[in-house]
Amino acid sequence: MKERLITIDHVTFYYAGTEKPALNNVNLKVYRGDSLLITGPSGCGKSTLCRLLNGLIPHFFSGRLEGEVNVLGYDIRKTPTHVLARHVGMVFQNPENQLFLSSVEKEIVFGLENLGLPREEIKKRLEEVIELLDLGNIRDKPPYELSGGQQQKVAIAAVVAMGPEVMVLDEPTAHLDPLSSKEVLDLVFKLNHELKVTVILVEHKLDMTASQVSRMLIMNEGKVILEGNPRDVLNGYHLERLGVNVPKVVEVYNELKKRGIILNGVPLTPEELVERIKTEKLRLTYEVGNRS
Amino acid sequence: MRLAIEVEDLHFYYVKGEYVLRGINFEIKEGESVVIMGSNGAGKTTLIKHFNGLLKPIKGHVRVFGKDTRNHTVAELSRLVGIVFQNPDHQLFAETVEKEIRFALENFNFPSNEIDKRVDKILRYFGLERYKSASPFNLSEGEKKRLAIASVLVYEPDIVVLDEPTIGQDAIQRKRIINVLKELIKSGKTVVAVTHDVEFAVELFERAIVLSRGLLVADGSVKEVLTNQKVLEVANLLPSQVTKCAWLLEDFGIPRDIVSIEELKEHIYKVLRG
Amino acid sequence: MSYFRITILKGFEFRKKDTLIHKLDPRAKAVYVIVMSIIVLMFTTPIPSLIILLSSFIIVVLAKTVKEWISTMKGIILLSVFIFVVNYLIAPVDKLNYAVSMTLRLITLTSIFSIFFLTTSPEDFSLALLKLGMPYEYTLIFTMALRFIPTLARDLQMIVDAQRSRGLELERGGAIQRIKKFLPILIPLIIYEIKRSFMVAEALEARAFGAVESRTYFYEIKMSSLDWIFSISLVILLILVIFSYITGTLPGWLFWKIPA
Repeated sequence: MKERLITIDHVTFYYAGTEKPALNNVNLKVYRGDSLLITGPSGCGKSTLCRLLNGLIPHFFSGRLEGEVNVLGYDIRKTPTHVLARHVGMVFQNPENQLFLSSVEKEIVFGLENLGLPREEIKKRLEEVIELLDLGNIRDKPPYELSGGQQQKVAIAAVVAMGPEVMVLDEPTAHLDPLSSKEVLDLVFKLNHELKVTVILVEHKLDMTASQVSRMLIMNEGKVILEGNPRDVLNGYHLERLGVNVPKVVEVYNELKKRGIILNGVPLTPEELVERIKTEKLRLTYEVGNRS
Repeated sequence: MRLAIEVEDLHFYYVKGEYVLRGINFEIKEGESVVIMGSNGAGKTTLIKHFNGLLKPIKGHVRVFGKDTRNHTVAELSRLVGIVFQNPDHQLFAETVEKEIRFALENFNFPSNEIDKRVDKILRYFGLERYKSASPFNLSEGEKKRLAIASVLVYEPDIVVLDEPTIGQDAIQRKRIINVLKELIKSGKTVVAVTHDVEFAVELFERAIVLSRGLLVADGSVKEVLTNQKVLEVANLLPSQVTKCAWLLEDFGIPRDIVSIEELKEHIYKVLRG
Repeated sequence: MSYFRITILKGFEFRKKDTLIHKLDPRAKAVYVIVMSIIVLMFTTPIPSLIILLSSFIIVVLAKTVKEWISTMKGIILLSVFIFVVNYLIAPVDKLNYAVSMTLRLITLTSIFSIFFLTTSPEDFSLALLKLGMPYEYTLIFTMALRFIPTLARDLQMIVDAQRSRGLELERGGAIQRIKKFLPILIPLIIYEIKRSFMVAEALEARAFGAVESRTYFYEIKMSSLDWIFSISLVILLILVIFSYITGTLPGWLFWKIPA
């Protein structure tokens, strides 16, 4: 029985001074070890949803919050962000705004200092995180000397060092080139697959993420429109209308389906598509062979 | 057909001795659609800033319709080359959307009845008429991006240059931008885009110039260049999904230089239905 | 007008280097700055300033920051000329001497302060302030302000580029027109940086800023024996100079004035 870490129960939220809800009756349960991908058009509420998880809503962003949100046993209304931050680490879009100090090492240590951990513990975690994320050769460098991808890795390191059970990443690759994006995402999935960190990832780059997660959510206008296994969710037609960057291989799958070729399962990557085509080809050869 | 942009042995550095562009050579003819690609730091944005004279070459020449950029002001060159930069927040300043769009037209001394006509036309074209008197800061991200593009297209420069137009855009916003660019290209304008979005490049553009660490490493049709594994590696780019599929299906006789989803579909169909 | 750089600021930017001067405790360097500034301000003749200026240059060489120091000095040329002219005009007697002395004082003070900032990391400076009793929040504000200066400079450049590309000509026009032309630059900059500060605040929250009353300070600065020797020597020097000044036992050539 998987442990439930987060419960979002009938949540509706209005930012102060707005009439349209940013979140509209949202329900969500997140379990330990989950990897959850959230996508949807700009303004659909994905960032708002993230900010519930460490209490930025309602403590930092004022507004009207209806419903209940429970994170690792804490009621977010009653728990300040600095308590939730120990358990739910958050990484944002722009690496520039998450690095405040003049070296990578200092950045990683910052959160641990804030938590009041003893020096030996800080030293231990610093070295662990540098090893884990392979930051050894840049540990003394200032943020402006790092590439966007490196900066984002440092931001992730600084949060991981705090030892949260859950990591929330809000479009971490928005400003990165494809290779850096892949590096950062590989790191995120390593945290989930190897270190069992529960990951909630908001992304548009579905071709790099959908195949790596266990669950997917599509949001629109503050509501959760679709939820489930990425293959099921992306199987539907008309997702582009919802502002979803459907991977091209899914398009190919759908087009083949229209023409009567049904591959065994929705592919999410080129490798999967090719595998399914090869399987289909074998099946056809076998079929033809049997007939003759 | 005139030469829109000529880049001849272009060398440039911001800090003495640390060259960001090291001897770039190429020509863009009027009406071409070109993507300039390469990883972050390759020199792409530095290159396009030479097109309207924001930067002047340390060595070499850049000419726009024959005019050497060293001999003209940024304002003069911007009249011919409209650059839309990546982040709308770096340019929005006016009290109303209308004033924002008027800015360039007023700077370029368009007559006022002309200005009014153009403003209304471009607002309609981008679906922003209802925001005419609204503050630009109250628009959504997608609307701001459209406003930024509108405020440059309104004065109809002959050459349109966009710096990372699809970065951070969702699928709907992407589609809108792609459609606007499609029409621009169809109408014969010279369109240049800096991007690392391979899917976007293969969908819209004919030609790809790839930079890597200040050097030009490839210049050819998008099909040729963005399916060339070596070039992609050197430039820190990843092949589009369609191209990756084509490579993996090599054994079935599918050519490696496929970029369009239609071509891929046809080939797969042939493979499976014989 | 090509790509503009803020050269004065460059000369105050910390660069990590492995020199004796960099290793000195910021408090020892602060003593240096204070002692030397007091001495410079005591005299209205050129020679004392020159001596201190030259000795500060020796320190710059020891700290291997000659290039950056020259940047700063280049940066204040305009201001120096201004100071020279103003002082020349307002001096009641000995105009030339007064103008030269005041200008030299400016240059020397700039040199002394730039040594401090070139060789002291913002964090070490904050740690020093912290040890001297400043609350942590204020020292963090200072560190972050310094860290974001290059970022701000870059944003400013991007805005200027974007607006020039829409035909904005900053070089043209009369005084009032030119000031108006800065609106399309100031407004986006202010709004952008305000937005940025919100995002930075969010990130700070996410790193549990303010979680405990007594946060840990992983890094420390300790005064080594060298720091003590350095500081005490400087204080002794100051006391000697002040004493000699008051009792009139300072050598006469220190008070040599440039003939009118």
